[in-house]
Amino acid sequence: MSDARLWLAVLMALPALVIAASYLRLDVERLRRLAVASAIAMLLAALAFVVSPGLRDFSIRSSALSWIPGGEAIVRIDALAATLLPFAAGLWLLTVAVTPRAVLDRQGLRRTAVATLITLASFLTESAVVLLLLSVASLWTFLSALEDPAHRYQRRIVGAYLGISTLLFAVGVGVLVSPAAHNRTIEAAAMWSIVVAALVRKGIVPFHAWVPEVFDHGRLGPAILFNAPQVGAYMTVVLIVPRASPEMLRTIAILALVTAVYGAALALVQTSARRACGYLFMSQSALVMAGLDCTSVSALAGGLLVWLSAGLGFAGLARSVLVLEARRGRLDLTTYHGGYERMPLLAMSFLSMGLACTGFPGTLGFIGQELLVDGAVDVFPMMGFAIVIASALTGLAVLRMYFSLFCGRSEIPAHPSLRLGLTPREAWTFVALVIALVGWGVAPRALVDSRFAVSEAILRQRQERMLEKKAPGVLMNAVTLH
Amino acid sequence: MTATVPLTVLVLVGVGSPALLFALLAVPSLVNRPLPERWTGVLAGSLMTISCAALLVSLLVYGTAGTSTQLISFGTWSSSREGGIAVEFLVDRLSLGFAALSAAIAGVVSAFSSRYLHRELGFDRYFILLALFVTGMLLIALAGNVAVLFIGWEFVGLSSALLVAFFHQRPAAVSNAFRVLSVYRISDAAMLSAAVLLRHVAGSDSLSLLFGGGAATAVLSGTNATMIALLLLVAVAGKSALLPFSSWLPRAMEGPTPSSAVYYGSLSIHAGCFLLLRAAPLLEQTFAVRLLAGGLGAATAVFAGMTTRVQSDVKSSLAYASLTQVGIIVVEIAIGWYTIAFVHLAGHACFRLLQFLSAPNVLHDLHGIEDAIGDRPAAAGGQLSMVTSDRVRRQVFLIALERGFLDRMLDRVVVDPFTRLAHRLTRLDEWLCGAVLPPRWPITVDGGDRDE
Repeated sequence: MSDARLWLAVLMALPALVIAASYLRLDVERLRRLAVASAIAMLLAALAFVVSPGLRDFSIRSSALSWIPGGEAIVRIDALAATLLPFAAGLWLLTVAVTPRAVLDRQGLRRTAVATLITLASFLTESAVVLLLLSVASLWTFLSALEDPAHRYQRRIVGAYLGISTLLFAVGVGVLVSPAAHNRTIEAAAMWSIVVAALVRKGIVPFHAWVPEVFDHGRLGPAILFNAPQVGAYMTVVLIVPRASPEMLRTIAILALVTAVYGAALALVQTSARRACGYLFMSQSALVMAGLDCTSVSALAGGLLVWLSAGLGFAGLARSVLVLEARRGRLDLTTYHGGYERMPLLAMSFLSMGLACTGFPGTLGFIGQELLVDGAVDVFPMMGFAIVIASALTGLAVLRMYFSLFCGRSEIPAHPSLRLGLTPREAWTFVALVIALVGWGVAPRALVDSRFAVSEAILRQRQERMLEKKAPGVLMNAVTLH
Repeated sequence: MTATVPLTVLVLVGVGSPALLFALLAVPSLVNRPLPERWTGVLAGSLMTISCAALLVSLLVYGTAGTSTQLISFGTWSSSREGGIAVEFLVDRLSLGFAALSAAIAGVVSAFSSRYLHRELGFDRYFILLALFVTGMLLIALAGNVAVLFIGWEFVGLSSALLVAFFHQRPAAVSNAFRVLSVYRISDAAMLSAAVLLRHVAGSDSLSLLFGGGAATAVLSGTNATMIALLLLVAVAGKSALLPFSSWLPRAMEGPTPSSAVYYGSLSIHAGCFLLLRAAPLLEQTFAVRLLAGGLGAATAVFAGMTTRVQSDVKSSLAYASLTQVGIIVVEIAIGWYTIAFVHLAGHACFRLLQFLSAPNVLHDLHGIEDAIGDRPAAAGGQLSMVTSDRVRRQVFLIALERGFLDRMLDRVVVDPFTRLAHRLTRLDEWLCGAVLPPRWPITVDGGDRDE
């Protein structure tokens, strides 16, 4: 067994272990401790792929799948996947470490492990069929989190939107693998079908309405776990960017920019903290999408960086809302809740994670957005202005949430016996997340260089595919390698 | 040995010291173990002194070397590739002068604050934000490219808003901080838009294109130059509280007095003027924007001059008095009196700092005098009554008292329409949610609290 295969087996075995343990008669708190330990181990194992180049460039191929779009590799580890693996592990660790005890039961813990396993498997494949199957599995996991009667309506909403998305994805993949795909028009239709599927999954305007609804009235935890890894962005990188025509990419980029501004603007006026999180997620996720569809190396690298920073920053921000809700109930943004003195660490972490989302200097988000703007200026100047407006509005929305949730009152109305501070586990998880976001923001070189390498590889792949199609004119117009 | 090597080291020490202070104070606070007050004071005093000394010496070194403008580069920071964010400082008499002034004022305020805020809750938070602010001001002063300038601009903006909300248990302080931040974000967006346009037009974000003059600035021409200058003017107006953005200034007085002194008395409020002064070569190319800047400056000076006379609290009165001078400085820049403008800026920053810091003592003395004489001292002024009618005076008084109705105007023109539109769109989203469901499914919204 090769080294990479061994590490990969360890990586997949850890969430599987938690799934298996959840069926045993294990105390929930013990199960959580096991989950936290597994997530830490998984994060370390995943980091091995980042630091050791020898473990990358590994794949498990099947010639039987060579006719399927996305290549024949059922599993492959390259520079893109190598960074996404610790990202997925980090999100799992965040989930199991900071979710309040009262709201994380045995089933919930199992679901987080299943969702992480699916996310990992998604990031490890480039086969469209495997991605489709994993997409169905992930939708099923998300729907199972909403099966209680209180969330019936949200379950239907998610079922309708993401069901359509999965169906379109299946139709697109189905057409692409059929002999009819040789016809350019049919191939374009299939690609559009996959594009719309990705847009729905990412909550891009006009297919976005399910996102704020699920965040607001659905279950926030599963919503974060389902959305923060941004598997839709991965679909875009592996399936859309290498194949889509320049017009298709431009349409996606324009819709994504509209969403980025729209989401940030609406987050600013929401009265519910959960709904504001939903719109913030929309905005952040759209920025990633805009970068990925820009066909410039810098912008693509920026998009890949924003993917990591927004994913971690947003997940941390939304998780801290959950932590606050566990202590105060649902959070209304029209009043001031105060409480900075009782939980300064949470307040500072919330602010830092929010600033990472807005692209504040000194955080990873700044580097990502800077590259995004830098790369977009030549290819698509309007993108630069849209990112500026979205970033300004996001900054305001985050500060408004911070002021409302932590300031404006000398003392929060709670029984003196109630422990409002963070538990050590929560505190260290938030601190570690902030250190990661700021650390990469202050010393970003290695990460940025690796993202450049990935984006060059993606665009090279696109170039080769375009050459295969013998459309050099399109290629020259579309790809700008800086 | 040329002057470049010591200059590079001195500039690095000058900018690095407050940044180091920020890191040294912020990291223990983040893990909920803030440094004791005594250590915080000592660290702040030492590092601010080092920064001030390094920048003063660098000004001396630069002056004796008699060289022209220098671009000090510390290489690319974000990436080893071309196109990464470069750490570049543009060093000349103006930038070093403003940097040294900023560091000196920050040092004075730091020493004053460690006594003034003794045993105040949030002592460490204050110094963390002050260190962030000083780093930002030095980056603004010495920036060699737009990225560095923007980093400084953002540091100043965020630290300013968070210091306005320093007494964060007071709702008024928090809501005012949000208002201040809103205007700052407009200013930030304008600044970044100018940067985007500059990159698109010139293919570079080097500030020598804006500040260099001659052939460098000539790359920008016609509409592009006007647009960039206009966006810079909006950024300056937001940061320096020029009309129509002046209404945030009295709101910013919620913070502790030393922070009001350093931000709205001496440094932050002049950051816009400094930027305008740096961009003078660009302004010279765009007559319309220059005219607009002069008009804005003059209108702001008149408005602030009127308003300062009717304020009922000393900090607001001083803030508007500062704004009067800021308006005049902008007029001087628009006319082209750059040296006078810089001397005015430096002198005013020091004078107003002193006024702000001594205001609590002056008030204390005034109360003593009032108690002693049993009445208020006789009011000065009244010259306006000789040339205007009662009606005009009443109207002017009302406008000044209501601070030009600027808040209400911004609410009506910007905030209310934006909020209305956003709420309508939210309702549309809620409707869109149900629209995908078949009609037989009831559209009811159940709230759920259980979560994972």
